[in-house]
Amino acid sequence: MRDRTLKYLLLVPAAVLVLGTTLWPLAVSFTTSFRDWRLTRSVTPGPFIGFEHYITAATDDPEFLNALTVTATFVLIDVTLTLVCALGLALLLRRAGVLQSLTRAVLILPFAVSPALVGISFRFMFNAEMGVFTWLAGAVFPPLQGVVWLGDRSAALLVLVFSDAWRWVPYMTLVVLGGLAALPREPEEAARMDGAREWQVLRDVTLPALLPVLAIVGILKTVFALKMFDQVVTLTGGGPGSSTVTLAYLVYSIAFRWYDMGYASAVAWILTAMLMGLAVWYTRLVLRKPDA
Amino acid sequence: MRAVRTALLLAVLFLILFPIAWMALTAFKRPVDLLGLSLFFTPTLDNFRTIFSHPWNIGRTLWNSTVVAALTVLIAIPAATLAAYSFSRFEMRFKTGLFFLILATQFVPAVVVVLPFYLLFRDLGLLDTHWALVIVNLAIVTPFAVWMLKGFLDAVPAESEEAALVDGATRLRVIIDIVVPMVWPGVVVTTVFCFVLTWNEFLFALILTRDDAVTLPVGITRFRTERGDLWELIAAAGILISIPMFFLSSIIQRHFVTGMTGGAVK
Repeated sequence: MRDRTLKYLLLVPAAVLVLGTTLWPLAVSFTTSFRDWRLTRSVTPGPFIGFEHYITAATDDPEFLNALTVTATFVLIDVTLTLVCALGLALLLRRAGVLQSLTRAVLILPFAVSPALVGISFRFMFNAEMGVFTWLAGAVFPPLQGVVWLGDRSAALLVLVFSDAWRWVPYMTLVVLGGLAALPREPEEAARMDGAREWQVLRDVTLPALLPVLAIVGILKTVFALKMFDQVVTLTGGGPGSSTVTLAYLVYSIAFRWYDMGYASAVAWILTAMLMGLAVWYTRLVLRKPDA
Repeated sequence: MRAVRTALLLAVLFLILFPIAWMALTAFKRPVDLLGLSLFFTPTLDNFRTIFSHPWNIGRTLWNSTVVAALTVLIAIPAATLAAYSFSRFEMRFKTGLFFLILATQFVPAVVVVLPFYLLFRDLGLLDTHWALVIVNLAIVTPFAVWMLKGFLDAVPAESEEAALVDGATRLRVIIDIVVPMVWPGVVVTTVFCFVLTWNEFLFALILTRDDAVTLPVGITRFRTERGDLWELIAAAGILISIPMFFLSSIIQRHFVTGMTGGAVK
């Protein structure tokens, strides 16, 4: 067979999988988002109602506004924390040393733990009566004694961030370490020869060179934070009240507690639209590389 | 400075390892030992015996997780290898557009994918089956696999392929006999990565399974009962989920990073 045909034939199995498992459901939920379809009333798709669901979300749904605020707050804290900690830790681990290699060896472990299990484990460790972190926090900072972590609106969100950072910071540290290892050493050494201090070398030489890697870490972490779902279910259940209900969790509630498929699809598509914006940005960054 | 660095690193090590160690300890505690936060207790294997017996039967859940993850990679990896080879070796029209599509699918939230599949599987009577989970997991795994394998294939020189082609071998023979053996370590790494992703997947399993096809991440939520949360059983099941993944991810640690960042950072 000629290569000219073959090169497209080779793409067919993967294309079928991607079309069937991603693009098809995307198209279906897009059209569903313009329908009135409540499973409690009808098993077949209901009538088209135009942009009504989107208008409801934008103007008349406190639950949606709440989820938007919660998600934005979560993303902001989570991404900032992950970036700062991963960069700091990577810089610490750049040197040789016993502790350094020991830490490097365990960095992959948290990422291998199922997010659902991370959530339920943190729920246990922040339990008011027998939570080891509850006790530890009180022992290290006495003012935190007696805080009911998962019973307080802000504290619960912080625990959610902590559980997510526990899983992601070590992983992103590995990514930043990879970026650091790929940097040429000469510019840093030249700067030192010229009498620059360590923090000046870091600010003027290392960080600018590392910027593409940090951008990738930032975008990827934003994506995963926007999709936050697993730990919301197993750690906070969205509570207390609806203080930790993220957009993904709201879609789940609308679809599988209230069985409103039309509105759930609309909210899901609002989330998808945000992520697609990030995807365009990310792809430009990645595909600009000469080897890609 | 040195002392500060040491203290910081010790704190990091503690933060990473402590939750794992604590859950591991809890798995060997009796319920009465939970409340005291004690480090010294008489360890017991009862929790493991309990989760494997009626009514928990975690052996069944373990089997479901294994079957779903294995079937998913068995379908995704061969398909992805062919596509990655084509992307790596040939120039074609719309190549950038196709790349964008593959990268962009990783940004699609799982919750938007699962709604139509839930409705479809309900109509087909496929809810709570292994195949339902395999199909939706392919949505996540396939793009990752294509992107990762292309990175590995780009690093394999094309000379020996060309020599074989000149000798009259067909392209498909060349792929099977020459390319796959050369890129085999990359195939293994990609398979392991996708296996771990599927094994840990929670959202799809939560929505699409009820009893028969429940996988481990959803299985552990079953220990939160009306009588309260059975933490010692959750911890024991947690060990069961995590140990194989610790093992798998450690052997491919260096490449794990390439997986998620799609080769953007090596």
